[in-house]
Amino acid sequence: MNNQPLIRLKAITKRFKGVIANDAVDFDLYPGEVHTLLGENGAGKSTLMHILSGLVQPDSGSIEIRGESVNIRSPYDSLRHGIGMVYQHFALVPNLTVIENIILGFEEGLILNRKRTESVLKQIFKEFELSLPLDEKISNLSVGERQRVEIAKALFHRSDVLILDEPTSVLTPIESEELFNTVFSMRRMGKAVVFITHKLKETIGISDRISILKLGKKVAEMSGEDLRQVGEEEGYRRIFDVMFDNTQLPKDTTTIKRSSEEMPILELDQVVCLGNFGEMRLKKLSLKLNKGEIFGIAGVDGNGQKELAEILAGQRKVVSGRLILDGNDITHEEGAGTRTDLGISYITDDRMQEGCALSMSVAENSILRLFKRPPFSRRKIMNKANINRHAEALIREFDIKVSGPDVDVGTLSGGNIQKILLARELSLHPKVLVCNKPTQGLDAKTTRYVKDRLQQESVRGTAVLFISSDLDELLSCSDRIGVLYDGELLDIVNRCDANRENIGKLMLGIRQ
Amino acid sequence: MLFEEALFVTVLASTLRGSMPMLLAALGETYAESAGILNLGIEGMMVAGAFASFLVGLQTNMVPLGFLGAAIIGAVLGGIIGFLVIGLRLNQIVVGLGMTVFTSAFCNLLHRIIFGSQFPMLWGAGMTTEIPVLSKIPIIGQPLFNQHWLVYVTLALVPVLYFLLYRTSLGLRIRAVGETPWAADASGVNVYGIRYLTIILAGVLASTGGAFLAIGDLAFFIPDMVKGRGYIAIVVVMLGRWNPIKVFLGSLLFGFALSLTSALQVAGLKVSPDFILTMPYLVVILTLIIIAKSTSLPAALCVPYKRGE
Amino acid sequence: MKQILYDKAAPAANSILSVISAFVVGGVILLFIGKNPFTLYGQLFLQGMGSSLGVIETIIKMAPLLMVSAGLLVAFSGGLWNLGVEGQFLMGAILTGWLAPKLVPFLSLPVYFITLGGIGFAGGMIWALLPAILKARYNLNEIIITLMMNYVALNLVTWMVKGPINDLSVVPAQTKLIPMTHRMPMIPFTRIHLGLIIGLIVIIGVYWIIRRTTMGYQIRVLFANKRAAIHTGMNVKRIIVWSLLTSGGFSGLAGAIDVLAIKGLFQGGWNPMYGITCIPLVFLARLNGWAVIPLSYFFSFLVVGGEFVARDQGVPVFFVHVLEGLMLLSFAAGEHIGKGRVT
Repeated sequence: MNNQPLIRLKAITKRFKGVIANDAVDFDLYPGEVHTLLGENGAGKSTLMHILSGLVQPDSGSIEIRGESVNIRSPYDSLRHGIGMVYQHFALVPNLTVIENIILGFEEGLILNRKRTESVLKQIFKEFELSLPLDEKISNLSVGERQRVEIAKALFHRSDVLILDEPTSVLTPIESEELFNTVFSMRRMGKAVVFITHKLKETIGISDRISILKLGKKVAEMSGEDLRQVGEEEGYRRIFDVMFDNTQLPKDTTTIKRSSEEMPILELDQVVCLGNFGEMRLKKLSLKLNKGEIFGIAGVDGNGQKELAEILAGQRKVVSGRLILDGNDITHEEGAGTRTDLGISYITDDRMQEGCALSMSVAENSILRLFKRPPFSRRKIMNKANINRHAEALIREFDIKVSGPDVDVGTLSGGNIQKILLARELSLHPKVLVCNKPTQGLDAKTTRYVKDRLQQESVRGTAVLFISSDLDELLSCSDRIGVLYDGELLDIVNRCDANRENIGKLMLGIRQ
Repeated sequence: MLFEEALFVTVLASTLRGSMPMLLAALGETYAESAGILNLGIEGMMVAGAFASFLVGLQTNMVPLGFLGAAIIGAVLGGIIGFLVIGLRLNQIVVGLGMTVFTSAFCNLLHRIIFGSQFPMLWGAGMTTEIPVLSKIPIIGQPLFNQHWLVYVTLALVPVLYFLLYRTSLGLRIRAVGETPWAADASGVNVYGIRYLTIILAGVLASTGGAFLAIGDLAFFIPDMVKGRGYIAIVVVMLGRWNPIKVFLGSLLFGFALSLTSALQVAGLKVSPDFILTMPYLVVILTLIIIAKSTSLPAALCVPYKRGE
Repeated sequence: MKQILYDKAAPAANSILSVISAFVVGGVILLFIGKNPFTLYGQLFLQGMGSSLGVIETIIKMAPLLMVSAGLLVAFSGGLWNLGVEGQFLMGAILTGWLAPKLVPFLSLPVYFITLGGIGFAGGMIWALLPAILKARYNLNEIIITLMMNYVALNLVTWMVKGPINDLSVVPAQTKLIPMTHRMPMIPFTRIHLGLIIGLIVIIGVYWIIRRTTMGYQIRVLFANKRAAIHTGMNVKRIIVWSLLTSGGFSGLAGAIDVLAIKGLFQGGWNPMYGITCIPLVFLARLNGWAVIPLSYFFSFLVVGGEFVARDQGVPVFFVHVLEGLMLLSFAAGEHIGKGRVT
């Protein structure tokens, strides 16, 4: 390692609306190293790197690049200093092609020169063993491909530094391996890589150095080599000790053994449905859901999860096949309202944009599905007192942190908004609860709360369809796991037979 | 035969002439919308351009200065709207409506104060330029090649603006800013700069379109003369899906609908002009119904951008 | 629209400041055109608010503003830009002007008024039907369609009064005069017709519907988040059609009442342009029905006072529209400043 760091962040502090995101954080990066930023959601990892990429301005602190103090006021400045970032929600324009996205911002000259760009890209692709369809629109690419476009873009910009923000959260285990290979070859070329993650295993696997952030503070720096030498168990323990107080150790949710008898409540029979652009998203999918079980749906994002949830919730049409609830064919009883009345509830994965009306109050949001029923309205006239009473009861029961039912939902935190959704759907006492990534973006405590509530619901006899892209989460609380790949249910694995490896392979479409 | 030829020539000439104001405005709007700005102030910009060109032309007694004046006013109005919706991130629809109401009323106010109830003519306006040789082609020569000079300039602008939007780095940046502004920003593109550029261009072109109406096609200003052409230009852009070539074809369609009034007079048909006057708007609505299924707007249209939000 | 409206806690301060800053900028414009703003504004208030003639005229003119605003309130509460109120108004007006004289011999007075009110309402609804269907079915932008419908209506009604439904006995194109016995009755002991009472009932009724009924609740959810409305099982298409049609209906009703109470007939080329007045009005009221009432008085005063001043001071009536445009702009700007202060 050289003595001169490529990048040195000194005492970076950043507050958002009074909440501290980075508290005097130091961070440095040397050429040819992989430096991992590890921490829980909300620990300030992304913010720190957004400061380096120019998307966020620090309140105080300084940045040095190659020994010189610099001021990064915009992504433009950052790019010109040779810093490339792969954002968690890719900074790509879906309607433009791969090549257009790659050259955006670095076109060189007014008139686009395709030939020159193509030859440069070919060279880069060869060097880093990448391949991409240059004339395909981004919207037609898989998540893994999109990530490669961003990496190719950074390489095209001749970045010396590549920042990867939670890159593996959207990848299958095998795609992750490919990504790591790319990272290693970049390291060989003397480039520096910052790797943001909250996953321990890959952290130990690929890092030269690890910085651990907790509540905006840097709490430790470790050497990856040391951790690999002491063995996996001990390595985990060391990191755990720093990341969590002992009391906070996330325990695996307790297993509740249920009777093994199968009582199917919901049945999907050869269901076919289309996506938003008329493409086939579910291909003759069949599935039986039993009373009182949690059925996990694993799969990489975009393999039909959302469509599966939406046909059950009545928000999407079934093209062919049947849906049977409690012995009755409900295929053609469409519409979210109808399905709610039939006893199917749905917690959407898009809680902000779809799940609630941010500019309306908690009370008004709590009855979004119930407003037509007494006692909330009679003869089309709303009863405000009853609505408020209902909302207050839910606030108490679900421990929602809000000063009263009249507060706008938009002012609450993501975790509390998710609790409102959970409360709203559970207050319907559904027979079937469909939830799509219900813990996404929540802190550890709320995640645990949500999972516990789902467990309780299933004990009460509700069938829970639990869709998630987080394999560990599924393994910890599902009774059975079905793997969705390209609109098909490849296999259903019982909890006792499921492990990261066999499910991971299925997620990639590899059958045993 | 002679009668039919006269009709054809009239329709062709007045279609081309009548489509110019909308085409100019629509070309500008294409750029603004591609970068994510829906400019409902376009109607007001056209009124302002019409009035400014007439006023400047009359004061200086030089018609070309009138067009220059309109372009400058258009740039200023574009800059103001830009400041409100890009700089201050105000609601584009409210700002657009407010600007249209304000500028139209302000021009009418000035017109009434300066000219009272008179509508003087600007002598020398509306002159055509005959292109040698080409204008001698039988039948189509006169309608196509004996037009106002701005008609030729505008027609030349169509391929230029197409090339700029789809074949250059500037165009790539404009399209990126309209679709996913934060991604463009993260790629080092100056989102605000691009948006200001397009709205100012939209202002210049819309006002020039208004100027063509007042001192290119005609030679006077009357308060209601724009009559929704700005809004029609927005429809033309939807119809042409942000492609300047298709936008040109769309403008011709509405120019044709507008030219029906004079055409039917030439044809000697007795249809009430008031009824014919509804034609362009009915064509607009019909078009919208036909294209209804296939229109989509740039993803970030009407959405203000602020880094980190 | 989402960011701008519906801040429950926000005070009336922004609305008042918007009006004041519009007057200030308007004053600068007056200076620019060589008028003394103090004299002009002084005369405006003196004649519009200080004379009984001005006050009574102002109150009479409130009726259509209240009804058109009620229509806009329904649409804007659902996030639907009904900018076609002028066309809807004209359709209600022309149908009433055309059919009223024909109905005079057949109907008793109460039935006659109710029928014509219904006809006016239906006229406005018909003119809102196409934008409503296109919005609901294809999610086609209602802004452009409603605006285009205005231009169609303007030319269509001119054509109609010149031809098919013309009262051929008089020179300016118009419909048959409605006999004085069949005009809108006055509020006892005043010169103010009953339209004011109807307008007040309509605006309060509409506001109650929006705040307290399940339909109003669904309209507000549609405004706040259309995807959430679909997600929770609301029939979004029905809500869109319902609110746009109702919106058009009230504009049409305003047209009917203006014809029945004031004009007595429909004249070619008549267009009071209530849209330009009522859109800023409803914004400044922040979609609050109660706030619409004083603002209607204020805007009506501007229009009436503006006419007086135009006569006396030589400032064309367009100046009122200049002020209205400025109010829209300063309202939008005020929301921005307000937001900045909160965070």
